[in-house]
Amino acid sequence: MSCLLALRNWQWLGSWDMTLMQGSRRVPSGSRRLHYTLAAIACLALAAAGCSSSSSSPPSSKKAAPVGEAKVAYASSIEYLNEKVFAPAFTKATGYKYTDWVNSSGALESDIAAGEISPNVFESVGGDNITPLEPKFTKWYIQYAGNAIVVAYNPKSKYASQFEAIASGKDPLKDLFTLMQTPGFKLGRTDPAIDPQGRSFIYMLELAQLEYHLPADTVTKILGGPAGSSTSSQIYSESSLDTVLQADELDASSAYLNQAIELHLPYIALPSDINLGDFADATLYGQAHVTVTISGQKVMKTGSPLVLCITIIGKPTPAAEAFVKYVLSPAGRAIYAAGGLRLLPPTVYGTGVPASVKSELGS
Amino acid sequence: MRYASGWLGVAGTGIVWLILLGPVIALLTHLSWSSIVSSLTAPGAWQPLIVSVESGLVTLAVLVVFGTPLARALARGTLPFPRVWEIGVLASLLLPPLVIGLLLIFMVGPFTWIGQLLGHFNIYAVNTFLALVIAEIYESAPYYVLGAQAAFASVDPRLEQQAALLGDRPVRVFRRVTAPLAAPGLAMALAVAWARAMGAFGAVVIIAYHPYGLPLQIWTTLQETGLPSALPFALVLLAVALPLPIAAYIWSARARRRRRG
Repeated sequence: MSCLLALRNWQWLGSWDMTLMQGSRRVPSGSRRLHYTLAAIACLALAAAGCSSSSSSPPSSKKAAPVGEAKVAYASSIEYLNEKVFAPAFTKATGYKYTDWVNSSGALESDIAAGEISPNVFESVGGDNITPLEPKFTKWYIQYAGNAIVVAYNPKSKYASQFEAIASGKDPLKDLFTLMQTPGFKLGRTDPAIDPQGRSFIYMLELAQLEYHLPADTVTKILGGPAGSSTSSQIYSESSLDTVLQADELDASSAYLNQAIELHLPYIALPSDINLGDFADATLYGQAHVTVTISGQKVMKTGSPLVLCITIIGKPTPAAEAFVKYVLSPAGRAIYAAGGLRLLPPTVYGTGVPASVKSELGS
Repeated sequence: MRYASGWLGVAGTGIVWLILLGPVIALLTHLSWSSIVSSLTAPGAWQPLIVSVESGLVTLAVLVVFGTPLARALARGTLPFPRVWEIGVLASLLLPPLVIGLLLIFMVGPFTWIGQLLGHFNIYAVNTFLALVIAEIYESAPYYVLGAQAAFASVDPRLEQQAALLGDRPVRVFRRVTAPLAAPGLAMALAVAWARAMGAFGAVVIIAYHPYGLPLQIWTTLQETGLPSALPFALVLLAVALPLPIAAYIWSARARRRRRG
């Protein structure tokens, strides 16, 4: 309550009269001013000393931890998994520290190329975000897991029984695409211009239109306008989409399979020929296209499998190698599998994979 | 000794000032002329500025109309249980903007009673201009109300009482006595609320992804093409948001000097 009283008398910005008047009445003497100044400098010095001492203090653990840090840039679709599960397990298993950058794979690639961030490991959705970094930052990547697009739904939606019937296979999947065209149906998705999930959802609809011989305007009707538009009222930021669905304010939304599992969202699984989850269907996925506007320029994007790839950026450090090894190890793969990702046989693209990483591949 | 201590004081203050200005200095030193030109000449690059200015002006209008009476009532202690009212204003100040955005979904989402009521008139409070204004109001209102409260508190109530004794009605007392005396403080409160509304992001990104204002333009550009393309929009945001607070500050300082004679 004293805090409230203080705020009540707060002469904040709006009433500088009092401050000025007090200042004119009680001008500090020269020595007092000097004391204030010295006190301020001393505080700054103490703060600086505190910072330096905290950073230079010896580790308290009995066993010396390995020196180094895995600095990992990764796609936001695996944020929960990496942040909450994988990173603690990696640190516990290897002793290396861990820091991260999370963003869309394309944005991370831009930031790495521009030198804005300096990770030593990059986990990307798709190898096409790694190849532009070659050969300056890396000459190889390993594809190790796959994700898939699903349709998450609101169990309290008025369409919930229809969703459940489709999810259980009682009703044909084709019905989902008719249902999503219902006037008043609240669909949520992410921005196709900046988020791979937003684009993948559109690819999925296009593939479904082809696969199930749906009318030519199905995709446009479901999306409520042109496919590549970023200004649809269906579009939410990736960080808020799941929240809006969980707040019962949407009937359904796009989601990655691992996100639906992590957040316990009810979802409709889609077959591999439209869910972008099977590397064997890469040619089929390539038939889906969407044109988005990026910085005023029209850019055509093409469907491709949602595969996770990993590489080391720059000169391999022990911590970076340890991280990649742990990702490819049985323990690491088990974590990803439990998180809803589909494990793929690790496949190397390019040359120059460090020997320690190769040993984990068994080659 | 006195001379030296004066300079030490200036130097110490200067260091603090520079530390506070650190992000702005970093912005200016990391901008290149070519990136400014390419970012700001891209098609549609200025639309977010228009959206931000329009939504900011609507936000200010709402704050003045609804926030001013509340601030005056808080300052004069005319409300029952005044602490409860103050706690209400402080609560919205203390909540992180992102959380405010998440909670607004429960308030004005399409399936809430407010959302359904608005829906009857084809008005939607998520991902629309209205949603942007709502988010900006929630992010800036506490700053305005608390600032205005302090401005009204600085007006001697005896002056208002004397005007009333001379026969002025309450509205005339407010117009002729309270408002002019509180005006410098009100202007500052409004200026801070404006800056807050222009920079609102946390609540906006949750309930008003469209239409883009400047903060979201910075964020989406960062996602699309990286930091170098996003930074020029931060400069635009500063250039647009700063003049009003600066003008309010200068006017406010002059008004106070005049009042002191």
